[in-house]
Amino acid sequence: MTHAVWIAASLLFALFGIAPASVDRAARLAIRFATGIVIGGTVMYLESLLGIPWTRIGLAVPMVLIAIWSAAAWPPLSSTQKSGGVAAALPIGTITLLLIYGIATARMTCGDLLYFWAPKAQHFFFAQKIDTEFLKFPHYYLMHPDYPPLLPMVYTWCSIAAHRFSYWGAAFLTPLYLLAAVLAFRGFAAQKIGERRATVSATLLAAVLAFGFAEGHTAGGADPQLVMFEVIALAALTFGDAHVIAAIALAGAAFTKVEGAAFAAVVVVAYTLVRRDWRRALVLTAPAAILLGSWILFARHHGLLDSYGRGGTPLHTDKLGLVLSVAAFEARYHAMYLPWIVSLAPLALARHWGRAVLPLLVAGGAIVYTIFFYLHEPDAVWWIRASAERVLLTPLAALVVASAAASD
Amino acid sequence: MSREALQRVVAFGGSLLLCAVMVYRYSLLRPPYFAVPATLVDHAGVVEHETRGALILVRQVEPLIPRGAQVTAFRPKNGQAWNDNGVYLTAVGLLPHHSVLPPWTASADRRDDQLIEYVIAVGHPFDHPSYAPMAGFPRGWLYKRR
Repeated sequence: MTHAVWIAASLLFALFGIAPASVDRAARLAIRFATGIVIGGTVMYLESLLGIPWTRIGLAVPMVLIAIWSAAAWPPLSSTQKSGGVAAALPIGTITLLLIYGIATARMTCGDLLYFWAPKAQHFFFAQKIDTEFLKFPHYYLMHPDYPPLLPMVYTWCSIAAHRFSYWGAAFLTPLYLLAAVLAFRGFAAQKIGERRATVSATLLAAVLAFGFAEGHTAGGADPQLVMFEVIALAALTFGDAHVIAAIALAGAAFTKVEGAAFAAVVVVAYTLVRRDWRRALVLTAPAAILLGSWILFARHHGLLDSYGRGGTPLHTDKLGLVLSVAAFEARYHAMYLPWIVSLAPLALARHWGRAVLPLLVAGGAIVYTIFFYLHEPDAVWWIRASAERVLLTPLAALVVASAAASD
Repeated sequence: MSREALQRVVAFGGSLLLCAVMVYRYSLLRPPYFAVPATLVDHAGVVEHETRGALILVRQVEPLIPRGAQVTAFRPKNGQAWNDNGVYLTAVGLLPHHSVLPPWTASADRRDDQLIEYVIAVGHPFDHPSYAPMAGFPRGWLYKRR
């Protein structure tokens, strides 16, 4: 029962989120869930900075106010877009059930959940704040003290509702992140390429992500949440110009994992190159820059700097050949590169490549910054083997977005 | 067949293929396939996950260790403590009301007054003259400093 309450509490984030009225109902719910995580997480972050403990009342008051504002400012107006009905629900639902099976039978649990995400969430829950004493304890150095705090805060939110942390609950958020990414993508895509093509592409995205989540053993880790934000940001910009939603999603990505900031930077650069609208690009950057910038300052003030303090680490360019070959080997996903093949095949058949420039630039940029990160480690082989299947989900998802954008 | 229809076939076909490979990859991670797992990592790999024993044992010994006590956890090698970071970090999350410290706090070269109070030995007995077993379980032992 505790696990069910824990998971259900995560759905409350949808009350604090915002979504455009132009997408279908399922997409609106998905986008509200994702943006709600960023908005709710920001409230928790601010309360921690101000010394306000994370109690039920302490969180309920601002959250209720935000929910009222969200309902008033972003009302669920009727949309002409349909949610796709059985034709969309059946394949996406089947893929999601396959993912749930993998989680329920403990076949895809992320080791990082056990090693540091859960310990952080546990201690944040009992401390009722971002527990800096725990984070800076020298014997817990391996827990990456300055990793962005959004995921542990989401876990803490659910723990407050359920009165305890739930390891299984954390793992079972993965299908929610998958559904949010896929349904939001479908909603945005349908505006540009029509509902039928959007459903086809959403099915492919669901399959690619579910396969990647399972093969990469991501359940309970930060990658599903990161990929959700990345897909929503890219879809919002590729199939329209929902820059406010994209800005919030990019902030969510930057506040979830270190590579989220790199992704946000690549998206902003690509957007500027393609749309040539630097003012909008600044709007896209602002929330991520403010949130992450304040976190880095907070980490430095409390002596937590680790990953973000490695700007001076040398680049081992002599290892480029080795890094590329090991990364390319791991990119096969133990399936003869099938995820790449199925992501690129529809693109190869498409004619409207001009519409796909933004996601293609982002896919290429994601691969470049991944290799760039790996080159900072003198012995990166173990790191590539442990992480490549997860981090390469970003360019894979971008390629599916590109395929959809270019479709006939 | 129109280009759009071909793209649809390719996309759905690719999705189906990925699902089929997903099922195959699941099957490689050992049976049983339809039983409730004992831990989150029961089928995380083709061999037992390094933390599985700890996930079972730590929950069993937790009520026996006073809140706030200092404790470490590891899988002894030749009866000795070593930097078993996977088990140790997992114990930090499983024992939020205790002070969990690294395994070297129970190493053989430390003075008696420097040794940690409780040791959770996962899978193998812990051989240290300053520790006595307090409780035994199928997955390991809880030791207390004498």
